Amino acid sequence: MATAGMRSLYRRWLDRRMPAARQQQLTQRRIFILPTGYGVFFMVIAGSLFLGGINYENNLIMALSFLMTSLFMIAILHTFRNLSGLVLRAGRMAPGFAGTDGALELVLHAGDQQAHTGLWLAYPGAAPEEVSVSPGEEKNVWLSVPLRRRGYNRAGRVRIESRYPLGLLRAWSLLDMDQACLGWPRPLASEECPAGGGEQLQGQYAGRQRGSDDFQGLRSYQEGDSPRQVDWKAYAAGRGLHSKHFADPAEGWLWLDWSLLPAMDTETRLGRLAWWVLALEQRQQRYGLRLPGTELPPALGADQRRRALDMLGLYGENIQGGEH
Amino acid sequence: MRVYQVPQHAFLLLVGGALLAAAPHLLLGPPWLRILLPLLLLARVLIQRGRLAMPGRMVRVVLLAGVVLGTLYTHGTVLGPEAGTCLLIAAFGLKTLEMFRLRDAYVLLVLGYFVLATTFLFYQSPLAALYVFVVMVLLTASLVGINRPETGARSRTHLRLASVMLLQALPLMVLLFVLVPRIAPLWALEFQSEGARTGMSDSMAPGEVSRLTESTELAFRVEFEGAVPSPAERYWRGMTYSLFDGRRWSQASPGGLPRPDLVIFPGQGTAPWHEQLQAQHAAMADTDAAPVYRYRVVQEASRRPWLYTLAVPFVRGPARGIGQVRDFRLVKEGDIEQRFAYSVESYPLLTAAVGLPDWERDFNLALPELGNPRSRQLAQRLFDAEGGDVEAYALRVLAHFRQEPFYYTLEPPLLGGNTVDEFLFDTRRGFCEHYASAFAFMMRAAGVPARIVAGYQGGELNPVGNHLRVHQYHAHAWAEIWIDGQGWVEFDPTGAVAPERIERGMDRFLGREMGALQNLLSGAAFSRNPLLARLRNSIDYLQFSWQKWVLGYDESSQMAFLERWLKDVSPLRIGLVLLIGTVAILLPVALWVLLRRRGPPRSPLQREYRALRKQLLRSNIAVSEGLPPRAVSETVARACPAAADAIRAWVSQYEQAAYAEHADAQALQRLRRLRRALRWRLRRSALSG
Repeated sequence: MATAGMRSLYRRWLDRRMPAARQQQLTQRRIFILPTGYGVFFMVIAGSLFLGGINYENNLIMALSFLMTSLFMIAILHTFRNLSGLVLRAGRMAPGFAGTDGALELVLHAGDQQAHTGLWLAYPGAAPEEVSVSPGEEKNVWLSVPLRRRGYNRAGRVRIESRYPLGLLRAWSLLDMDQACLGWPRPLASEECPAGGGEQLQGQYAGRQRGSDDFQGLRSYQEGDSPRQVDWKAYAAGRGLHSKHFADPAEGWLWLDWSLLPAMDTETRLGRLAWWVLALEQRQQRYGLRLPGTELPPALGADQRRRALDMLGLYGENIQGGEH
Repeated sequence: MRVYQVPQHAFLLLVGGALLAAAPHLLLGPPWLRILLPLLLLARVLIQRGRLAMPGRMVRVVLLAGVVLGTLYTHGTVLGPEAGTCLLIAAFGLKTLEMFRLRDAYVLLVLGYFVLATTFLFYQSPLAALYVFVVMVLLTASLVGINRPETGARSRTHLRLASVMLLQALPLMVLLFVLVPRIAPLWALEFQSEGARTGMSDSMAPGEVSRLTESTELAFRVEFEGAVPSPAERYWRGMTYSLFDGRRWSQASPGGLPRPDLVIFPGQGTAPWHEQLQAQHAAMADTDAAPVYRYRVVQEASRRPWLYTLAVPFVRGPARGIGQVRDFRLVKEGDIEQRFAYSVESYPLLTAAVGLPDWERDFNLALPELGNPRSRQLAQRLFDAEGGDVEAYALRVLAHFRQEPFYYTLEPPLLGGNTVDEFLFDTRRGFCEHYASAFAFMMRAAGVPARIVAGYQGGELNPVGNHLRVHQYHAHAWAEIWIDGQGWVEFDPTGAVAPERIERGMDRFLGREMGALQNLLSGAAFSRNPLLARLRNSIDYLQFSWQKWVLGYDESSQMAFLERWLKDVSPLRIGLVLLIGTVAILLPVALWVLLRRRGPPRSPLQREYRALRKQLLRSNIAVSEGLPPRAVSETVARACPAAADAIRAWVSQYEQAAYAEHADAQALQRLRRLRRALRWRLRRSALSG
């Protein structure tokens, strides 16, 4: 397995040369440059003109071949310049289910005097996105990333490539933006709802669509409270972090519970729970989620769905990297 | 696969570039090509506009077959430079019809450079070079265009970038041009250009040289190192005629003589006479006092092999393809099909270097057994009168021409069978060939070895470049005789009859002899108006410099140039200079391209804030950099109450934008508008206050 050995050697060399960082500027150290196939073709034409110039003893044809050669050399600088100086910043992430694609945001920032034209960006295994940044501009691109597993997927090195201006050369960089994308568990259909105290309450749920509007009071902020619950006005006034507390009647929701799925491996359990999160959302049924050590209070809607899926995705992961 | 569309902003450049790259060939090529190519490009435009469908494979195959047949029909072949370029242009046009992928656009453009280069097979003037450069900008701009996928881009920016890049490439090109070693052609490729043979021919009968004087065409230009020799010294020897058949003098060699006895090309062995000549040359070169002419000739295409030189010539530098001839001439291997430059040094004192073996003496004494009896008698009489002194006899014959009523004229009467007799005793009117022929006949008749030399005499001095222009009307013929102890000595009987032809040049002579039209053509009219003369000389100088330094920059001039600057010329040294030069040229460009302002990048919002501060400064309101926006607002309101509302609106918009997660373009635009409103307020208050 010489190639595998070579590849790991190459990867280690890359890691040493360009360590991971959430903001990076493309500098000499980070840019590679090589001719494209067209560049080679161009030089072959220049070479054949040189031979023609010699054989016909025609100095002007020879001069043209020299001009093409010089243009090629100048193009090296311009192609390099097109990447050089660009600042990349890791941005937000958009998780997805394992087995599908998630997306990561990169913010590209051009210097005051320099445009970066025709850049192609791609994470390994995904289709490239084309973007141009004018001088002084900031642009964000969302790049899709294949999510191979549940939990954090390290995105690897983003390939940023440009052939501008002449297409004769390809300048590129491989940057580890220290980005990871969260993969939610792949939903696994199941008949039995892993929920406690369900059906007899269903009737009451119909009339209680906006339960969380019943404001009851404040309590001091606890880990896991949604930012939406935080009383920002009070915080701004300097009274500390408090969460708004809403009266949620005990009836009208289901608790999706990890412990109700015994004798299964972790991923299957998470998959089933994910499926039920989607199912209950579809049925417009309020739900809460209990995992060992954490709990998500019952609610309904896009935020709840996202929070529940994130919780499932993050189960057992070291909390790091991906920001929301 | 996605159907590729050439971006709209690149399309015009691409079609225009393709058309202009092929245009010079359209002027020269067959008529069908002249029609076909614009039609193909028009079709491409219609396809791009959606008015025409992309032609199918069949149509393209048929078109290609038609093009090959057309080329065969026109040129009889598909090989060789002319048929080849014709085919290339047609194929280039056809390529546009199958341009539906990015790849095809690339291939078309890179082929475009190639097509462009072939222009130089037919046109080599500075204007042609400029044209090619401009079209190259177009092609390069198209390359830029197809590499910019967004629709919003503008062709003008592509053109600007392409021009900048090509201008940056120019110095490097010059370096490569000067330093990359010129090597001998790898395989023989004689470029056969179509055109008539011009200038002297390999034989001469009465009336033939005078016909040349009707042509004002340029034969060659010469530049001397040091002083330009006086008109009377400017005898440009092209060939010698030793065979006389009673009417016609021809270049011929005695039968059965091996070629090396007459001409030696470098690398093709040597002969005793050649070694002798080289040895004398080396000895002469060592003595500083020896008279010598050093000069460089740039000769127009003559479709003949003869080179034109003074006295006893030797090639300077590598003499690739130039042979040394026994009768002190240089010839090219193969005809001069395109402008040809060579550097020469000539030694007037080496005319005896080769000696005169018996076979050569006999050859240069041979006359037809019969004919011209009166001339033979006259020769014998004059020779005896001088007591057999060869030199005195030759001078006596010249004096005869001078003392008897001989006339020098461009329109001599026709001569019958005994050409020499008729000329010497009856008509007594002739051009140089009559005099030279009669003189050589008289010499041979008296037993003095003699031959005719044909070439050019004189040359028009261009004071701007201090070089000579030699025209076809400078064509001349004179004679050489062998004098023991001196070797071959030049005698010009024309000078005896019409000394002003030699002393003051053919230009003056023609001015008197010719009609108004020829007068105009020869440039004589120009030389009368000093301003026009100067203009004409300057253009001529420019052309000559171009030919000398660009077109004629060959192995020998490269060696001479490098020896002057590098002293010791070795491949290693050239490589080193090439490397250092490349770095030295690319470095400033690299710095210009790559250097950018360091420091943390500023966001658009920060720049907007900077712009505001600058604007306030213009209204004499100083705001320090660290001041928070609110404080700015107060400062401005105090300084200019009329602008208070405007600055507050700006600050509030600024803060709103600053605390938003991302600065969006609309917010920035609003901010800019508010800033303009503020400026207007400030100005108004400044005016009213």
